Amino acid sequence: MRDEPSQDERYLAAADEFGPALQRLARASEANPERQRDLLQDMHVALWRSLNGFDGRCSMRTWVYRVAHNVAASHVDRERRSRRGLVTLDEIDQLPDAADIGADYETNDQVARLNAIIRQLKQPDRQIITLYLEELDAASIAEIVGLSPGAVATRISRFKSNLARLFRETNHV
Amino acid sequence: MSLADIHVRAERFQSRIGQRNLIEYIAAASVVGVFGWFALTIPLAIAQLGSLLIIAGALYVTWKLRSIAGGQQKDPAVSWADFHRSELMRQRDALRSVWRWYLGPLLPGFLVFVAGVVFAPENPAPLLAKLAMLVSVLGFGAAVFGFIGWINAIGAKRLDQEIAKLDAARR
Repeated sequence: MRDEPSQDERYLAAADEFGPALQRLARASEANPERQRDLLQDMHVALWRSLNGFDGRCSMRTWVYRVAHNVAASHVDRERRSRRGLVTLDEIDQLPDAADIGADYETNDQVARLNAIIRQLKQPDRQIITLYLEELDAASIAEIVGLSPGAVATRISRFKSNLARLFRETNHV
Repeated sequence: MSLADIHVRAERFQSRIGQRNLIEYIAAASVVGVFGWFALTIPLAIAQLGSLLIIAGALYVTWKLRSIAGGQQKDPAVSWADFHRSELMRQRDALRSVWRWYLGPLLPGFLVFVAGVVFAPENPAPLLAKLAMLVSVLGFGAAVFGFIGWINAIGAKRLDQEIAKLDAARR
């Protein structure tokens, strides 16, 4: 009979498969490179701790994304208490100016602006959009976030049309 | 990050949790300090009793706050919707029952303390004036307590609406 993988083995396998996705999530949640590094480390620690209790109730992918997003959400809540508030998808009325978002952190202006928008979002919009950009479908995102696929699809569609409008307005300026 | 680094950082995380409880202890210690000082320095048995009752009430409220907050042991792999819903319900239930665990325990001490101070033998005012004083202070206290209860009831209703909205997005 095959032995169950140990906590360390599970973690190493998960880190190998999902490490890049965790990095992208950290980047989308935090602009400052130093705090981004701390956040990424916190995600890995939380993931390792959580895998001690992995009970197979969901796929490893769903488990990893939930743990990582919960860590990112706690980080954002802590940062928000000392900085400006967050908004919903409908409340974003303009793209952040490249000069305001520390474009020296990111070389690609469009990616920088997209991440800056994502960082302004409240939960669960932030989580949904970040997972959508990881190319997960609405059903997978719904399983991770705990909403219905229909609710997820509606938010994604709203985000896409808001984003298209914002970038169009910017190009006309 | 190496596995060894992960293990070290995980141990540091555990010790940070203990620091959070310190703030609650400091708040409770302040109330105990102030009313403990009253109990020792005010030479009036009823006011002393009132101070002790307020201390007991404050300690009960602190314990209740801890058990309400601590009851939410976060499952690291819980979905956002599950966690958010249970948080909303926990807060709503706490607001709905605020008279039982927050205002109620402080009431006896408040009443006894105020009555003790107003009817102190050292107070030279005539009985009618003392009664007027008592009614004014109790009236003010009732207004404050009533306002807190009312604000919390509004908060509980808003949370009910948020829970309903979340449930609709989960169907």
